[in-house]
Amino acid sequence: MRIPILKLHNYLLISIQIELDDQTAIQFQEDLLHKIHETGATGVVIDLTSVDVIDSFIAKVLGDVVSMSNLMGAKVVLTGIQPAVAMTLIDLGIHLKDVPTALNLEQGLIKLRQTLEE
Amino acid sequence: MNKKLQGLVLKNSDEIIRLWLRKVDQNHKKKLGQVAEVSDELFEGTNREFANVIFSMVENKGSTEELKTFSERLIQLGWPLSYLTDGMQVFRNVTVDYLLNQTEIVTKEDCIEVLHMVDDWIDPIIHHLVNEYSGNWENIVSLQKVALQELSAPLIPVVQGITIMPLIGTIDTERAKLIMENLLHGVTKHNAEVVLMDITGVPVVDTMVAHHIIQAAEAVRLIGATCILVGIRPEIAQTIVNLGINLERFPTKSSLKKGFEAALELTGRRIIDMDGSGDKIEELLETLSKE
Repeated sequence: MRIPILKLHNYLLISIQIELDDQTAIQFQEDLLHKIHETGATGVVIDLTSVDVIDSFIAKVLGDVVSMSNLMGAKVVLTGIQPAVAMTLIDLGIHLKDVPTALNLEQGLIKLRQTLEE
Repeated sequence: MNKKLQGLVLKNSDEIIRLWLRKVDQNHKKKLGQVAEVSDELFEGTNREFANVIFSMVENKGSTEELKTFSERLIQLGWPLSYLTDGMQVFRNVTVDYLLNQTEIVTKEDCIEVLHMVDDWIDPIIHHLVNEYSGNWENIVSLQKVALQELSAPLIPVVQGITIMPLIGTIDTERAKLIMENLLHGVTKHNAEVVLMDITGVPVVDTMVAHHIIQAAEAVRLIGATCILVGIRPEIAQTIVNLGINLERFPTKSSLKKGFEAALELTGRRIIDMDGSGDKIEELLETLSKE
């Protein structure tokens, strides 16, 4: 199962709508990095609105994806993390410190534009 | 034997009641006087009614209807449970004394039988009374718990994108959990970009409370909003620093007013005076600097 990555001008949009298992997450990480390389995108929005469960491994992969993308010159914003998911992550001690977040896709795009303009 | 003793008690009920009343009067008047303002007539009347209830229980074991109405009324009046339990103890003593004096008891078995029988009369009554009272208390406690929960974590959307959560009273783990849940759901529901957590009304901030607040703020950040901690009083600031708690990861402000201004700034807005008095002052300053 592969997660579709959409290109919108300079940005890449990813909406995760399936339950992430470890394999899919790793696959997604590779796909995204290749896509960034291919398109030269400067911003990435990963929308997690329909994700109900994030375990520690997926959280780690997401954190890694963000730092990797930063290395490749693309800013990443995570959007739409559900309250329950946020609570579980905090309980697990995962704070995703250096990861920018936004309430929804719209806010995420605004935030991305702001950080890229700076 | 059993029937005989029961008959004896019922026949001499007036005598027993008289003895009982005298003792109860001595014992409880003082105690009860402290709890509630009770007139002598009311006290006498209640005592008599209590005695009647006890005897009707002795007469036909198991009929709890009278006892129930009686105890319900006392609960409503706010009489203490100790009045009833002490009364029952006194009744037990008086009855046992009376029976032992009246009947010629020869053997140990007889004596034990009398004690057992009196216990059999009295224990169900005490049991019932304690149940009624504790049931009533539990009811009150659960009602108050619900009321407290309703008050414990309110979230107020003030303007587009900004919500405030005023916290009043001590925060324990259970409440902290509720606060976090309400906060996160409120943020997504109201689409808030900034949440102001006001701890003006929190009397003590120890490591545990700070930990909960930090967790809530982190969770808010994860779902994509900013949490500003406002209402930090001087003594709270002192404790936080003395305890070595690091709150630097998210913004803090001394008052709700300042926090609100910061929130407006974060959402790209500011408050301007309608009559432009601010501009006038600026103009004045400008002219002054020119001179």
